[in-house]
Amino acid sequence: MSTTLIDPRKTFGEAVTDYAAEHDHVLVLSADSGVSSGFGRFKAEFPDRYYEFGIEEHGVTGVASGLAATGFEPVFAAIAPFVTLRNFEAFRNDVGYMRQNVKIVGRNGGMTYSDLGPTHHSLEDYAVIRMIPGVVVLSPQDPGEIRAAARAMLEHEGPVYMRIGGPFIPELFDETPFEIGVGRLIESGDRATVVSTGTITVEVIAAVGALREQGIQVDLIGMPTVEPVDAELIRASAARSGFVVTVEEHYVRGGLSAAVAEVTGDMRIRRAAIGLPHEHITTGTYAELLARYELDAESLSRRLRDLIEAAPR
Amino acid sequence: MTDLARLEVEAARARLSITRMLRAAGTGHVGGALSCIDVVTALYFHTMNVAPERIDDPDRDRFLLSAGHKAMAQYAVLARRGFFPEGLLDSYGTLDARLTGHPDMHKTPGVEANTGALGHGLPIACGMALGLRRIGHGGRVFVVLGDGELPEGSNWEGAAIAGHYQLDNLVVIVDANGLQISGRTADVMNMEPIAEKFVAFGFAAQAIDGNDMRSVVDALDATPFRAGKPSVIVAQTTKAKGIASLEGTAGSHHWKPSAEELDRATSDLQAAVDRLELVGARS
Repeated sequence: MSTTLIDPRKTFGEAVTDYAAEHDHVLVLSADSGVSSGFGRFKAEFPDRYYEFGIEEHGVTGVASGLAATGFEPVFAAIAPFVTLRNFEAFRNDVGYMRQNVKIVGRNGGMTYSDLGPTHHSLEDYAVIRMIPGVVVLSPQDPGEIRAAARAMLEHEGPVYMRIGGPFIPELFDETPFEIGVGRLIESGDRATVVSTGTITVEVIAAVGALREQGIQVDLIGMPTVEPVDAELIRASAARSGFVVTVEEHYVRGGLSAAVAEVTGDMRIRRAAIGLPHEHITTGTYAELLARYELDAESLSRRLRDLIEAAPR
Repeated sequence: MTDLARLEVEAARARLSITRMLRAAGTGHVGGALSCIDVVTALYFHTMNVAPERIDDPDRDRFLLSAGHKAMAQYAVLARRGFFPEGLLDSYGTLDARLTGHPDMHKTPGVEANTGALGHGLPIACGMALGLRRIGHGGRVFVVLGDGELPEGSNWEGAAIAGHYQLDNLVVIVDANGLQISGRTADVMNMEPIAEKFVAFGFAAQAIDGNDMRSVVDALDATPFRAGKPSVIVAQTTKAKGIASLEGTAGSHHWKPSAEELDRATSDLQAAVDRLELVGARS
């Protein structure tokens, strides 16, 4: 792991811009949100492919559908709740039901807009969007995955939702081609199967590292696709460990926990879910919220150890 | 037969076709379908660059029925225009039918968007108009809105986009039949003055009698009304136009006719076709 911290929004915007340089059909749509979503260079280099609409997320989602219907591939990025909830019916009907080649990206996902409050938090986006049939939901875990996932998203023919964060994040992995629906085994061990998604994975890796030093070894699966999850990888690991724990910066209902429970529903295993409680959470710095909701590495290490030790071997 | 007489006959035949769908399903959104059907007929038989033999032509004009519940009007006209066999009309509303209660682009040849939830058509139409402008081959977009859906805020998001981007390849037709489920549109939520609202967003507007084929054709022929502006036609229409006992009633919005009522409507609409064909033959 590198200690250099990298801007996820800029990383995302640069990746799309690099791809767009070779693909004329890629357009960027902004609801007063493009430059703050990392598209400053795109706007400068391709001004005629950058459409500003002002603050109207339903309208922009409809426009994205119409542009896709005429052969273009629009990318629409803004603050996560505004492109998943405010526009939800347009996402469901105009993008999902119409099966349009539209890419919608929620930035500052999870509780990364920590001090701005629940209007700006996004703790249900995985759950809400994975309920729309045919929509891929991505939540890359580090800058390399953001770059690779952005390319995979643009190569994919069909609707995709991707969540990225806001605070700067470290590189965790060597950058490899991104395959939608494929997880990565980050650590190996037989005491539990820990499945993590999104940028909270940096905390989970540290937590699992601390457990290893205590002699507790687990499989840690990084699952940057929330819909569809890598059922094969998760089931194989769960069959060995007998215990699956999900960790996500999302309500424990409906998101990764539900996706993993669904693909392991027929297995005689224990399950636990770590995430945000089902309430309108408090505000503070991001680090303070991680600590308050016990999603920081130290808390996660303790919680995982307690769960594992409570499990019959 | 003059072009105008031919269009009037086509609209009458399309009205008659709606009774086939009613017979198949037993029920349907008749009122709005019959109010907008003259406009839809003129678009498919006179105005738009579309043809069933080049259904995927990227340069074709696009038609969207934002008020998707009026789908029977579009199906009737698409069938008359040859996009699918008229026999398909008899499957309307049945299990796995390709003609659904609201349009489905993946099931019905010629349908361009999956509308039904109100307030969605105009933003999608704006995207298509922007896309066709980028392609640069002159493609245009026509979208029919109901006056009852105008309170949906997303329409005005779309109106702002159309005005801001000066989408003069976009034509909005408001099918203003003045009625919705709960009663008079003006009483439910007054959105007048409709034309002036669109003008304030940057449109050029005309108000017409939307059940008078000459007025419809003249207005469509005059679009774009102004270079650099999207056009809006506020078509004053009569809900359930053509079925005398239903005309101008909110109850026609979703009609479940008795066998006798349906037979009477069918014979009245058949008589209208016969009369117009006779008149047209002499013109």
